[in-house]
Amino acid sequence: MSHHFVTSADIPAEGERISSSKLDSVRRIAGGAAAITGLISAYLLFVAPPNIAGPFAYSWLFALFFFFTLAIGGCFWTLLHNVSNSSWGTSVRRIMENLGAVFPWMAIFAAPLLFPQVQKWLFEWMNIHNAAGGSPFDGFLFGFYGSDSVKHGLEEQGQALLVNKAWYMNKVAWYIRFAFYFIGMGLVINGLRKLSTAQDVDPNPGTGNLFKARARSSYSLIIFAITITFAGIDWLQGLKYEWFSTMWGVYLFAGAALNSMAVIIITATLLQKGGYLKRVVGPEHYHIMGKLLLAFTIFWAYVSFSQFFLIWYANIAEETQWFTIRNTEGWNTGSIALVFCHFVIPFVILLQAWLKKNPKLLSIVCAYTLVMHILDHYLIVIPERSVSLGNMLPDIFPLKSDAHPDGITTVIPGAFWGDIFAFVAVGSGFLFFYLRALSQTATYPHRDPRILESANVSN
Amino acid sequence: MSTTRKRVYGYLAEFGSASALYKAAEKVRDAGFRKWDCHTPYPVHGLDGAMGMKRSILPWFVFFGGMLGTATGFGLAYITQVEIYPTVVQAKPANLFTVPAFFPIMFELTILFSGFTTLFGLLALMKLPRLNHPLFASRQFHRATDDAFFIALEARDPKFHFDKTRAFLEEIGGKSIELVEEED
Repeated sequence: MSHHFVTSADIPAEGERISSSKLDSVRRIAGGAAAITGLISAYLLFVAPPNIAGPFAYSWLFALFFFFTLAIGGCFWTLLHNVSNSSWGTSVRRIMENLGAVFPWMAIFAAPLLFPQVQKWLFEWMNIHNAAGGSPFDGFLFGFYGSDSVKHGLEEQGQALLVNKAWYMNKVAWYIRFAFYFIGMGLVINGLRKLSTAQDVDPNPGTGNLFKARARSSYSLIIFAITITFAGIDWLQGLKYEWFSTMWGVYLFAGAALNSMAVIIITATLLQKGGYLKRVVGPEHYHIMGKLLLAFTIFWAYVSFSQFFLIWYANIAEETQWFTIRNTEGWNTGSIALVFCHFVIPFVILLQAWLKKNPKLLSIVCAYTLVMHILDHYLIVIPERSVSLGNMLPDIFPLKSDAHPDGITTVIPGAFWGDIFAFVAVGSGFLFFYLRALSQTATYPHRDPRILESANVSN
Repeated sequence: MSTTRKRVYGYLAEFGSASALYKAAEKVRDAGFRKWDCHTPYPVHGLDGAMGMKRSILPWFVFFGGMLGTATGFGLAYITQVEIYPTVVQAKPANLFTVPAFFPIMFELTILFSGFTTLFGLLALMKLPRLNHPLFASRQFHRATDDAFFIALEARDPKFHFDKTRAFLEEIGGKSIELVEEED
C-alpha cells in the first residue's frame, strides 16, 4: 500500500461532481453530431433508393449492436457488483451505473428496426411471413406463439422450417420481445441508479439502499441474460433464419462484458486525468479491472472457439454456412485476425501485473480491445449483406460478376462508407448520452458505507 | 567435560497486532535487512509491500511451463495425426488446418504443465519439503499459528549484530525478544 490511507476526512460530504467546460463542449458537439447524422441516417434508411437503403440497413444494425453491447455491459457490471456484495468497486460503481444508464436511450437507435422498410432488407423470414398472407394475430395469445393462418400460408409455400420455428420466430412475439428488452432492462438500470444516487443526498445514509440494490440485482440478472440473449437472436441470428447456434447469447455476452469493462477503465483513467476520483481510485482498482479484462478476454476466446468447434465438428449445412461466408476471401483474413488479435495478443499483454496497475497503458490495451470488438461485430453482421441483398435484388446487387463467376459476391462496393457513417451516428449518440449521465451524478457514491473500504482496497 | 556449541539462527520478536507488525516490517525494510521474515496467523494484506519484497520469478516459470504444454499438445497431435498417420475424418483436412481438433488437448496440456510448474516451482523456491526449521526450537513460536505476530531476523544477514539488532527490535516495538539457537 504505497498511497496514503483514505479516511472519511478525504471524502467530500457533498460529493465530487464533474464541472468541466471542455467536457460540456464535447457533449454538445456529440449531441449535435448525433442529431445531424441521425437525420441523414433516417433519410438513408427510409427515403434513399434501394441500392443505398439496403446496404445501409446492415451498417445501422452493425453500429447499433456494437454500442448496444457496451451499454448493456454497463448494466451487467452494475448488477454483478451489487449481487456479489463486493466492496472493491464502490469507487468506480458510478461509472458502471452511468454506462448502464445509456441503455434505455439505445431504444432510439434500435427504433428503425421496428419499421418494415428496414426489416425487409435485414430479416428474410419476415418477408416470407408477409408473403404467406393471413393475420399475424390469428392464434393463441394473439399469435404470440405463431399465427395459424400465417403457418398455413407458410406450409403452402413449402416453408416447413419457418412453420417449425413459428412458435418463436413470428412478428407478434418479435415486437413484444423488442419492447421487453428496453422496458425491462431500462427499468432495472434506472431503478438501481436511482437507489445509488438517492444515497448521495441522504442525510442519514445507511445500508438500506445497498441491501435493496443487492436484492433487486439478483432477479434482475435474469432479465439481463434474457435481454442480451434474445436481442442477439432476434436481431443478429435472425439475419439468416436457417442458422442457429446454442452459444450465441453467451458469445455476445462475453464480448459485451469485456468491452464495457474496457470503456469503464478508459473512463476512470480520463476522469482521473481531469482531476476526479483522485482519492478513491488507485492502482489496485486498475489491477482488479485489468484482471477482469483478462478473464473476459479468455472467456470470449473460450466461447467463440467452442461455438466454432461444435459447428466445424458436426458439419451440418445449416450451421456451417455461417462460417462458410466468413471464411471466404477477405472475410477469412478477418476471421483469422480475430483469433490472434482478439485473443492471443491481448492475452499475453494482459498477463503482466505491472501493466494492469498502470492506468495509461491499461487504457491503451482497452482501446485496442474496443477496436477488435468492432472487427468482431463487423464480421457478425456485414458478411451477410452481399449474400442476402444479392438473393433479394440480383439486378442491383449482382451475385455473379467477372471477379466472382461462381456466384459469391463478398462485398458491395462503396457500402463501407455507410458502415463508417452509421458507426459515427450511433457512436456520437452513445457518447452524448454517456457524458450526459456522467455529468448528472457525483463521480463516485461518496455516502456509500463501503466507500472507504473500496478506496483502501488491496489485492 | 565437553561444551556444546550451538549455531545462532537469529532473533525472534513478538508484536501485539497485525498493524504493529506491519509498521515494524516497514522499519526493518528501511533499515536494510535482507534475511528476515514475518510470521502471522493469517495473511496480512500489503505485508509484502511493507517487507519490500520483489515480485516472485515464479510467474515466468509458469508462463514457459504453459508454453511447453501447448507445444507438447500440438506436437503430439500433429506428428501422430498429420505426419505419421494422416487421419481423415468427415473429409476434414489432415494438415495445419486440422488444428481446431487439436485445441482441446493443447489447452489441457497448457493447464496441466502450468499447474505442475506452479506447484513444483513453488516448492523449489520455498525449499520445501523440509523436515525441520530452526525456529521450531523457540518455545513461543507455535503461537504464530494462533494469536501472535512475529518478526524473525536471521544471523546470516550482514547487518546482524548481537546487541544492536536486539536494541533495534526493542526500539521498533518488539516484545519477548528471544535469541533462537539451532538444535543439535
